[in-house]
Amino acid sequence: MNRVTEMELMRLLHGELPEGRARELRDRMERDPELAATYARLARTWEGLELPPAAPAPPGFAQRIAARAREQRSGGALSWTAAPGWVRAAAAAALVAGTALGVGAGSWIHRSPAALEESPEVSASEATFETTLAESYWDAIGELP
Amino acid sequence: MGTDSARATVADPGWDALARVAAGEADAFAQLVEAHQDRLLRLCERLLGDAEEARDAAQEVFLKVFRKAGDFRPQGQVYTWLYRIAVNHCLNKLRRRKLVRFLRWNDPAEDAEASPFDPPDGYPDPAAALEARRRWQATRQAIARLPAGQRAVLVLARFEGLSYRQIAEVLGITEGAVESRLFRAMRRVEAAQDTDVSGVSPREGRR
Repeated sequence: MNRVTEMELMRLLHGELPEGRARELRDRMERDPELAATYARLARTWEGLELPPAAPAPPGFAQRIAARAREQRSGGALSWTAAPGWVRAAAAAALVAGTALGVGAGSWIHRSPAALEESPEVSASEATFETTLAESYWDAIGELP
Repeated sequence: MGTDSARATVADPGWDALARVAAGEADAFAQLVEAHQDRLLRLCERLLGDAEEARDAAQEVFLKVFRKAGDFRPQGQVYTWLYRIAVNHCLNKLRRRKLVRFLRWNDPAEDAEASPFDPPDGYPDPAAALEARRRWQATRQAIARLPAGQRAVLVLARFEGLSYRQIAEVLGITEGAVESRLFRAMRRVEAAQDTDVSGVSPREGRR
């Protein structure tokens, strides 16, 4: 069974085919057991797709969110743009200083023999993350039409 | 345009509610949340696979809706717009979670404990019930392991009952892409259903 036919059967299963084509395909299935078997297999997979029932909204959910929204609107939440200029300047300076300190400490640790002993663990977690990224990359490639 | 808007507003009263939210009516926002909370919570839980995380996500989505209500242009249905925000939010969360690693669902042992399976009527012998349980677990794990884009399409089609056109609208992709993702997702689920949780295909027999 080729992919195009299977996709058409899937459209039939999902009620996405125009009525004329759907009737045509149903008639063909009566004469073609292989086609009928493929359709039955797709239908079985589709019907078998089940997840546990989702939890309903907890009591007071909407009211809590509305209260938070009111808080945000009245400025209860921290707003960066609303902060005075001197606060923003001080924060930026602290960020630059922190980054410089981090870079310095990082290069020292990189040269430190103690850090080299610990590095396999770090490398392992980095490797895992890289694997995941690589997988996601191939998934994304696989999803291209 | 004005006439179209007026006609469309009649078609979807949600637009009127959104306009009131944009105007700062807190009660209108609470009503909007109440009207859509179950649907959005269910969607978030299906996408994220965790009820608690889904509640947080839904809350963040509604607050985003509150902030962006003024940006909404009355085209299509309000729920499509809400779904788009929710799906994007959840997909970003999934990607941040090192790309669709649903720890809760990936552990077969935990899965079995957390979700006891009650075989539906019609399984006369224990072997058939066991096979049904195996298939069900394999299906859940397969759904959890789908790439985020395929999972979103599958959830919207299977559990939210959206048409290909509606899914395309929510995700901002073509109907062809919806169909293609759905097809690949079905293939993956089928492959998982034919393989038992330890990775052995029943057709091959146990090692």
